Amino acid sequence: MDMNEIKEIFFQECEEQLAELESGLLKLNDGDRDPETVNAVFRAVHSIKGGAGAFGLDDLVSFAHVFETTLDCVRSNKLEPTQDVLKVMLKSADVLADLVGASRDGGSVEEGRTRTLVKELEALANGEAPSGAEAAKPAPKAAAPKAETPKPTDDSGFQPIPFTFDDFGGDEEQAADQTTFEITFKPRRELYAKGNEAALLLRDLSRLGEMSIACDADTVPALDAMDPEAAYFSWKIALKTDKSEADIRAVFEFAEWDCDLDVKLAEDGRGDDELPMIPVPFDLSAFDDAEEVAPATIDDASAAVAAAETASAVAKTVAARAEKKEAAAAPAAQAAAPAAANAAAGQTIRVDLDRVDRLINLVGELVINQAMLSQSVIENDNNGVSSINMGLEELQQLTREIQDSVMAIRAQPVKPVFQRMSRIVREVADMVGKQIRLITEGENTEVDKTVIDKIAEPLTHMIRNAVDHGIESPEKREAAGKDPEGTIKLSAKHRSGRILIELQDDGGGINRERVKQKAIDNDLISPDANLSDEEIDNLIFAPGFSTADQISDISGRGVGMDVVKRSIQALGGRISISSRPGQGSVFTMSLPLTLAVLDGMVVTVAGQTLVVPLTAIVETLQPEASAIHSFGANQRLISIRNSFCPLVDVGRILNFRATQANPVEGVALLVESEGGGQRALMVDAIQGQRQVVIKSLEANYTHVPGIAAATILGDGRVALILDVDAVVAASRGQSLRPEMSLAATG
Amino acid sequence: MAAKKAARKEFQLAAVLDLNHASVLHGELMALRGSDIVIDATAVERVGAQCAQVLVAGAKTWKADNKAFAVGKASDAYLTAMQLIGMNEDYLVPKEI
Repeated sequence: MDMNEIKEIFFQECEEQLAELESGLLKLNDGDRDPETVNAVFRAVHSIKGGAGAFGLDDLVSFAHVFETTLDCVRSNKLEPTQDVLKVMLKSADVLADLVGASRDGGSVEEGRTRTLVKELEALANGEAPSGAEAAKPAPKAAAPKAETPKPTDDSGFQPIPFTFDDFGGDEEQAADQTTFEITFKPRRELYAKGNEAALLLRDLSRLGEMSIACDADTVPALDAMDPEAAYFSWKIALKTDKSEADIRAVFEFAEWDCDLDVKLAEDGRGDDELPMIPVPFDLSAFDDAEEVAPATIDDASAAVAAAETASAVAKTVAARAEKKEAAAAPAAQAAAPAAANAAAGQTIRVDLDRVDRLINLVGELVINQAMLSQSVIENDNNGVSSINMGLEELQQLTREIQDSVMAIRAQPVKPVFQRMSRIVREVADMVGKQIRLITEGENTEVDKTVIDKIAEPLTHMIRNAVDHGIESPEKREAAGKDPEGTIKLSAKHRSGRILIELQDDGGGINRERVKQKAIDNDLISPDANLSDEEIDNLIFAPGFSTADQISDISGRGVGMDVVKRSIQALGGRISISSRPGQGSVFTMSLPLTLAVLDGMVVTVAGQTLVVPLTAIVETLQPEASAIHSFGANQRLISIRNSFCPLVDVGRILNFRATQANPVEGVALLVESEGGGQRALMVDAIQGQRQVVIKSLEANYTHVPGIAAATILGDGRVALILDVDAVVAASRGQSLRPEMSLAATG
Repeated sequence: MAAKKAARKEFQLAAVLDLNHASVLHGELMALRGSDIVIDATAVERVGAQCAQVLVAGAKTWKADNKAFAVGKASDAYLTAMQLIGMNEDYLVPKEI
């Protein structure tokens, strides 16, 4: 593993830490005052700083340090995390993200922006009110010694921080006088579970000065009652040193959250004498030697742990990933801080996405192959009782399980995308001078990684639109009797095998009159078209509907919304909008959970084999002549349990045949569409039900209206997968036809 | 006296008594219960807190069982580690046996 790979891991970790940071800050912003939230935020910045130091990313280290310093004030209750403070912090998180990006991809972050924030952060750490706040909240003491701002050494106002952090703050006030500290250290189980070794922490501590120690072993139970991996020992330590409290705490910095630690000045300069103290020799070379020899003689896991004990935050991942030889030689030796090593815990692994994709593809092929094998066995086994047949059924089940498990590897929560949106809301709102609050729900809803990656762009576009044009200005809102602060709600949930993402704003909503007029002017609909409100709202997705100068006329809806719709469709998804004038709009995106497989009903329509997604089908029925009723010129309804449901001939809609088929001769599939309401889709016959592997039509051919994708059946033939909602929409009338015909020609 | 010595079992500690070894050591000691035991720590290169905890638990258990539990010879690394983690004579530091 070379340095670049390690650096890449660091940047991947940064992404996670940044997400953690932002989510923590947003929680604080929502009034969460859980100390663990503050700790998590602090940890995130601290880890980034640590890793950045190892790679000599000075700008990043400097900014992270100032940020961390201020966060430390919040952590130690010296600074109240008010809305104003958090605003600065959120901006700082954005700059930190930009600095990480700049370090990774080259480029730089605007210096003025960084400098302004550094000043604001420093002011906060010094107990000054943030700019814009009405009253200053004086802090009794500016900051902990550790949190003191380093003196600038260059004109950018930064002082590069050495990675060892040996010299942080407070040294001047300690002078050369030795002070005795009383330290109580009680590790928790997690400390050991994360690969930290209390003995090594004690060793590092002993190097700071003259140390005496007493171990409280009273809590250790008898062998049969003990858990060998639990934490029982606690220590009282007297340390005579010329170092500061911050230096002492720095020894525990990567274990701080997994232990109870108390550091205080000893009264009268004496140590605690409740327990007999054992002086610890300053020369611990025997201990060091043993440690250095050890990795070569121990097994994989302990090698990783041994390496990680002295590793930086970055090196912990290296250790986790490294194979035996690499673990022993992990470039951790140079790092000073002891780290939490997840190597032994082994909760997660990082796998190259390509590898997962290759596996998924292969499993897809396996499913097809298995289907083909089953089919040929069935064809040659008339009585259907051969042992091969039974074996194949088991194989089918097994294949299915493998496929489900493989798909689960790719499933990821939508949280990272949602978090990115909060930054966009912040930035755009700032730019246009609006007050907007983003509420997210269901961030842990999981969906295939491809979907997550591809949803970000259209979502960004829609969020920008919502902020820029959807939500009115504070003055307008107040005039309309609304809260001057607008709300955008972004939510995700699973619904019938798909993921539903909703973007809701409480803005002005769509001006339907104008939309309709614009659609008529642009020849998208005929002037006498009788459209429902929903259909008018959906016109904004039509290609060629809007141009830039029409943005403000319709509250901004329509800018590139056809592009958004196309992106969503390319994912096999659908988007719709509903709007209430004066109250806001709701965009609803429905996306498949996976782009790889689908449970479908295989049907025949006009001699063609089609697959209808099973999730859409409510029930199937054989229509009787008495249940079919004509309605208007060519509409037919089917009566199902005392209610009427429009009958849609799939063959006719898809232009497989010129005239409508006789419903009595076919089968009706009762489906529920995204826009609500049921339809009975007429097909000629049902062949069966099976799981199919989705092959994208867009990627291999082009988008076909009414068809979501294709698949290969057991007999090797290609079957088209029906886009139920598109078919239902097309059956509703002319409103979506222009789009379908345009898409077909495009 | 001689008979008592003969009943004693000698138990050699591994070189590396780190986090991963705590469970192993626990299992080894459990298997030795019921006999007087002398720990040979001459091969020890490294001792972590969790293994020390197991040894302390062993010492307590042996005491409760009215059996002898003593540390015999020990390496410098063992002694330094014990000093570092503040083990006193009650438990794991070699004494006259």
